[in-house]
Amino acid sequence: MRVRVRAVAVGVAVVLVGLAVVLALNVGRDPRADANRSQLLGQPSPTYDLETLDGAPVSDESQIGRTVVVNFWNSWCIPCEQEHDALVAWWAANRDDDAVTMLGIVREDTRRAVERYVRDEDVTWPVAMDPGGRAALAFGTRGQPETYVISPSGVVVASQYGPVTVANLDDMVAAAERVG
Amino acid sequence: MADTSTARNRIAWIVLAVLVLGAVAFSLWPRPGADSVAGRTRSLAREFRCVDCEGLSVADSQTASARAARVEIRRRLEAGESEAEVRAYFVDLYGESVLLKPEGTGIGLVVWALPVVAVILAGAGIVVAVRRGRRTPRLRATDEDEALVARALGAEHGTDDRADDGDER
Repeated sequence: MRVRVRAVAVGVAVVLVGLAVVLALNVGRDPRADANRSQLLGQPSPTYDLETLDGAPVSDESQIGRTVVVNFWNSWCIPCEQEHDALVAWWAANRDDDAVTMLGIVREDTRRAVERYVRDEDVTWPVAMDPGGRAALAFGTRGQPETYVISPSGVVVASQYGPVTVANLDDMVAAAERVG
Repeated sequence: MADTSTARNRIAWIVLAVLVLGAVAFSLWPRPGADSVAGRTRSLAREFRCVDCEGLSVADSQTASARAARVEIRRRLEAGESEAEVRAYFVDLYGESVLLKPEGTGIGLVVWALPVVAVILAGAGIVVAVRRGRRTPRLRATDEDEALVARALGAEHGTDDRADDGDER
């Protein structure tokens, strides 16, 4: 009987030591680390086929050959307001460059609110609604603002969760141009 | 008397076994409609984390992104994709953190294995305890023991009587 109790005790000890080793090896590893980085980096651009507020069609295919900055935003999000000046400044500096373009895709907002914001806040780059949220889903967005930069060959080369700065945008666009 | 007690124990174990097996069978029994596209969509939507809300599944959340995800799951199932393919699509898109249930590999294996190991160890512990209880010999009082007890009781009564007498004086 004593031998059997000892065998059970040894079994428990082995299991506990095994668990301790596994836990020790994983201390500091964030199981949700992949939530901080887009899984699309290095992948072909997701498909999107939208219509801008002006009624012009815009799709991933129509933008092949140019570096595209895709910015998911909406009118009620505070971080979107925080990055707004950077977007305006970056667009003012690059709007005449045929090699790059920017597309704002609205995430979870009404058309009326977006049109008012675009008018009042001097948004002059193309903005498209996203009916059904399909483009937001295709990009794997987790919120807004989120910015993706697609190379001229149609590869997602950079992404930014949260507000961007002009320097961020310049760096991401430069990376896209290097990829070509 | 001992036979009655044993029979009662057996019945209790049988009832417990029937209840446990019944509960397991009930949980595993396929629900009506589970094979329909709507049922499979609901089932899959419960597996994915709503990415822009805390602690809710895609099935439970009413955000636009969760609605879009439900539509996408349904669209893919209707297009003939398997549950595994839909699951792979969402994992490719968001990473494994989109899964509410951990996968059965890597550190996720520990999460699944731990309860099983705990149940096995607990079962082993119960078996050892029951066997030890059975093997402990039941001591029967001999005539000599009973005489010893009787003498001790008699002596105790005698002492009490003397104490009572003393109080009266």
